[in-house]
Amino acid sequence: MYLELEKLNKSFDGKSAVCDLSLGVERGELLCILGSSGCGKTTTLNMIGGFLAPDSGTILLDGQDVTNMPPERRPVSTVFQSYGLFPHMTVLENVTYGLKFRRYNRAQAREKGMKYLELVGLADRANAHIHEISGGQQQRVALARSLIVEPKLCLLDEPLSNLDAALRARMRGELKRLQRELDITMVFVTHDQEEALILADRIAVMEHGHLLQLGTPEEVYREPTNDTIASFLGLKDIVWGEDGSVMKIIRR
Amino acid sequence: MTAASKSTNKRACKNALFRIKERAGDTVVLCVLLGGVLLFILWPMLCIALRSFRAADGGFTLEAYSNVLSKYGTSIRNSVVVGICTAICTTILSLSAALTCATRRSWGRTLCMILLTAAMVAPPFVSSLAYIQLYGRRGWITYRLLGLSWNPYNLAGVVAMQSLSFTPLNALFLLGVLDKLDADSLRSARDLGAKPSAILRDIVLPLMRPGLLVSMLLSFVRSLADYGTPVIIGGRSVTLAAEVYLQVIGYSNLEKSSAMNMFLLVPSILFFFIYRALMRRSDKLTAGSRSAQGGLSLPLTRCGSVGWLALIGSGLFFVLTLLQYGCVLLSGFLKSKKGVYSFTLDHWNELWSIGASPVVRSVVYALIVAVVGTLFAALFAYYMDRRRVPGRAFFDCIATMPYMLPGTCFGIGYILAFNHAPLKLTGTSIIVLANMLFKQLPTSAKICSATLAQLQPAQERSAQDLGAGRLAVIRDVVLPNMRPALLSCFVYNFTSSMTTAGAIIFLIDPSRQLAVFRLFDAVYRGDYALASVLASVITAIVLAVEGLVWLLSRKEGKRRVS
Repeated sequence: MYLELEKLNKSFDGKSAVCDLSLGVERGELLCILGSSGCGKTTTLNMIGGFLAPDSGTILLDGQDVTNMPPERRPVSTVFQSYGLFPHMTVLENVTYGLKFRRYNRAQAREKGMKYLELVGLADRANAHIHEISGGQQQRVALARSLIVEPKLCLLDEPLSNLDAALRARMRGELKRLQRELDITMVFVTHDQEEALILADRIAVMEHGHLLQLGTPEEVYREPTNDTIASFLGLKDIVWGEDGSVMKIIRR
Repeated sequence: MTAASKSTNKRACKNALFRIKERAGDTVVLCVLLGGVLLFILWPMLCIALRSFRAADGGFTLEAYSNVLSKYGTSIRNSVVVGICTAICTTILSLSAALTCATRRSWGRTLCMILLTAAMVAPPFVSSLAYIQLYGRRGWITYRLLGLSWNPYNLAGVVAMQSLSFTPLNALFLLGVLDKLDADSLRSARDLGAKPSAILRDIVLPLMRPGLLVSMLLSFVRSLADYGTPVIIGGRSVTLAAEVYLQVIGYSNLEKSSAMNMFLLVPSILFFFIYRALMRRSDKLTAGSRSAQGGLSLPLTRCGSVGWLALIGSGLFFVLTLLQYGCVLLSGFLKSKKGVYSFTLDHWNELWSIGASPVVRSVVYALIVAVVGTLFAALFAYYMDRRRVPGRAFFDCIATMPYMLPGTCFGIGYILAFNHAPLKLTGTSIIVLANMLFKQLPTSAKICSATLAQLQPAQERSAQDLGAGRLAVIRDVVLPNMRPALLSCFVYNFTSSMTTAGAIIFLIDPSRQLAVFRLFDAVYRGDYALASVLASVITAIVLAVEGLVWLLSRKEGKRRVS
């Protein structure tokens, strides 16, 4: 396994937020952590990103123990729910900020920044300020900013939740394309079943800090290990593609 | 006509009457608010401008200006130099204190907050008082401890004392900016590999830039307006504000002091507009933050030289502040006989002998201003934010102006505006109360409108929908919902009324003295023991009232939860 979580535990003020969580992610895979709010998914993400230290357990990334590595040294980058863009910098400055700490000179940084902006389709807005671009564009800037440092692992914390439905559907496709194209390992946290079923290579369903089920979308959908998952998914019919990916979801 | 239709008729009549009454009441309230702002803020300022151009025969002249320029050039230069130095020192100290406070966890932060808040409460002139006691010719530190014999009366002392006393307010303001920074931005930077020093340099400081500029502007204008410190410890070098004070109190020369005031008024108004633009920019930079922040997680010891500077600066500030207040509190209980100090209660007896009436009067005035001012501010904020008042931007601008107006201007403006019929108010307590109220209006209105912004207009619409008139909406929905804001407004108004001297000195009637006035008098005369006692009493009263309100709001909060 490329990323391995082993028996992670975290509690806040005596209340357990994540309990004995173990799971693994293969290289180039997109794992969705799915659950309603308060299930411990964001806590899990923060532990992988290094912003929270687990009470016990280990995190292995590419064979290296990163459990106690601070976020600035961990080869993991995060796209936050509110993006966390720097409002006083331009789009390009935002995207190339991480390169400052990776021995790039100005010209190299600019070149690479433009390449990634092109990748997310924002090359023409390079010199715009953050408040001048739309929410969907901000989302793509945040994504480019995280990907440009070529992290071993990219974490996404409900990155699409601030977008409207139509834009969300489009960004979903774009995200999947980028992930495939750049062959990045991603962990994606969401409470949206549809999003998880469409995007994920595998889904981890969480509730009350416990992992309920880990499997491909089809497995989770066809053979939910318990009733909670079945009712949580709450979808009546799905049109499956030949490779086991979701083509379409029909809500009744 | 049947009885039933008669009663419906009657009810319709009553309803119509009710609506007319409500509408008329609403208009009256609005007129009082707008009229008050025009009469008590705009008019006094216009009076200063008009008077400064008036010749002895009533014609137009620029003589007063040329007089001021030729005679008081040094004062003007002193004012500017002191202002700039104070602005820079204050901002550095405030930034240090704010950064230290924001990066401390739980108890450390609470301690910092308590120190900053307590320092805010201190009456004016306390720093000058402590300065002389600690660093003066016979100062505890300079003379007794270090054996130095130096002349402490100079502009460097003025800058130091102004910076120390302006820092708490600015630090709390900058702390507010820091708390509003988007936590996800900081985490993103860290995530991308930025070390604490880089986060501070690349993200935190640039985002605080408008806030830092605001802090500089505020300190500069406050320094321009401050006459107390230079009069007490400025020695031979006098600033413009001190000169205005001497002109008015000593010679009652209103033309000359009006012209001198214009040199304070014009830059203040100019800075006021820059201030508004900067505040808008600061809000824009922090408005995007959607993620709550539980304290800045930025270890200052790992932030390189800037971090260490911040720690040293804030340490210096806290130590000097503690020294000051300790010194003032102690000197109220000490008696010096041939250089040997002993404990005494003599000074407290002296306080009773001059009569407690100035203190009592101060408390009564402060209570009146706190109640009326809070109500005025709440209503003003409501009408400005929620109603389509014609000329809204104009009135809002006028009402915010006193924030930047030097106290001397505000005081002399009042003397000029209200010293003849039909509005002869000089010598009454009304002029003092109005002056306090309107000087404090900008901040109280801001507290109220911040809370108002969080209330959903749908509430008010629902009430209107159910038949409530305009005044009924305010009475039944708006004011009850603003309770927390009203409480903090009350505390702010009370504290400021108890502790600000600014304009009041010029307006007070000798037969109706206030505690702050007695304090200034005592410091000026060199009666440091009495001054210390008075300062301690004022501080104790203000802290007691703040504590009481805090307990009250906590109790209420608990009741609401259960």
